[in-house]
Amino acid sequence: MLETVHVPPSVDEALLALRDGAVLMGGGTTVMPQVNTMPVEFTEVVSLRRAGISGIEVVDAVATVGATTTIAEIGADERLAFLRPVVQTFASPPLRNLATIGGNLFVPQPGGDFGVCLLALDATVAVAGPAGTRDVGVAEVLEHGVAAGEVVTAVSFPVPADGTFFYRKAMRRRYNSAAIVSVAAVLVREAGVVRSARVVLGGAGSRPVRAKAAEHALVGKPLDDASVAAAATAALADATTFDDAFASAWYRSRVLPVHFRRALLGG
Amino acid sequence: MPSRVIELVVNGRHRELLVRPGMSLLGALRDGLGLTGAKRGCADGSCGACTVMLDGKPVLSCLVAVETVDGAAVRTVEGMAPDGPLTELQQAFVDGFATQCGFCTPGILMAAEALLAENPEPTREEVVRAISGSVCRCTGYTAIVDAILAGAEARRGVTV
Repeated sequence: MLETVHVPPSVDEALLALRDGAVLMGGGTTVMPQVNTMPVEFTEVVSLRRAGISGIEVVDAVATVGATTTIAEIGADERLAFLRPVVQTFASPPLRNLATIGGNLFVPQPGGDFGVCLLALDATVAVAGPAGTRDVGVAEVLEHGVAAGEVVTAVSFPVPADGTFFYRKAMRRRYNSAAIVSVAAVLVREAGVVRSARVVLGGAGSRPVRAKAAEHALVGKPLDDASVAAAATAALADATTFDDAFASAWYRSRVLPVHFRRALLGG
Repeated sequence: MPSRVIELVVNGRHRELLVRPGMSLLGALRDGLGLTGAKRGCADGSCGACTVMLDGKPVLSCLVAVETVDGAAVRTVEGMAPDGPLTELQQAFVDGFATQCGFCTPGILMAAEALLAENPEPTREEVVRAISGSVCRCTGYTAIVDAILAGAEARRGVTV
């Protein structure tokens, strides 16, 4: 049963409050449903709402986004306009005013749309802990989380050049639905040929999945129907699709190549 | 830890209330202050029935631990037309038969108010997007979207 909700005014005080095994809360969108509907086993919650770690900075084309920055705040920032397709397909407007980018790293698929994007963007996560702060790759955080007693304070990523970020999320409804599958990619082209590719799949594993076979199929090729079709088929080798209330594993695998193609070529 | 005293400005009025640890803003409004307009539907952020304005932005009040928003300004459906006639938006819901059971209506009104505050002349698509967090199991949404568009027109002074 919940006995205390801490609302520390700084990260340092949040770290102190976490010492006794409290549960961290960002926007509340995953912790509060538990508090509301079940006899929770944890007794303390530490809310980061007033810890002073929200806000967006863009310096030399590198964005640093404080962990408690909401999805709506990201959607309203002109400098991060490339993320609008992600924001606008993320849950509903009232939820976007609560959900935070830091919290979204810990939401399992098929939620956690920003985890999929941040992995494609090769983001770095700033983590504060009792022993000090450290920077860690987002892949590590997505796979293993952070240690008990640590707090994610920010994520940073290079803002991709125009036309190099691709995103597609297939949903059961047009708005406010978790992903059937999603695809995020950063593709850099030179002289008509894909020079580098980072492609990430959502809804294709319990966590966002780097589609290395698909990346390999794209690099060195023009971004056209043939190369994307080959990469879309290759992406299936990277995916471990699953059943849930939104779709079956069979269906996810069936439509993944279709949405992969639409992510990269439109349509 | 025992319950705590929290201050909120609710519909323009300063309020103090005692809250137990983990109490949601929705619980504080309904059980603490007797404002039962916002509804408890799913309790997990899926239905939108508890939508209220928190510091000017629509949020799902069931997902907000009230202790984390001590001092905040909250607006609920009760604050839309406290003593006077209904607002244009509310009147459009009445005139357009945009409610049946009424359970989703307060949340949809708040989401629609937030939309019109930002965008007084929304398209149909923008209305659909704005209320996409609210579930209505009666109307099929068409009458609700029509009412929001009509309410927006009335607010702009357009005579139909």
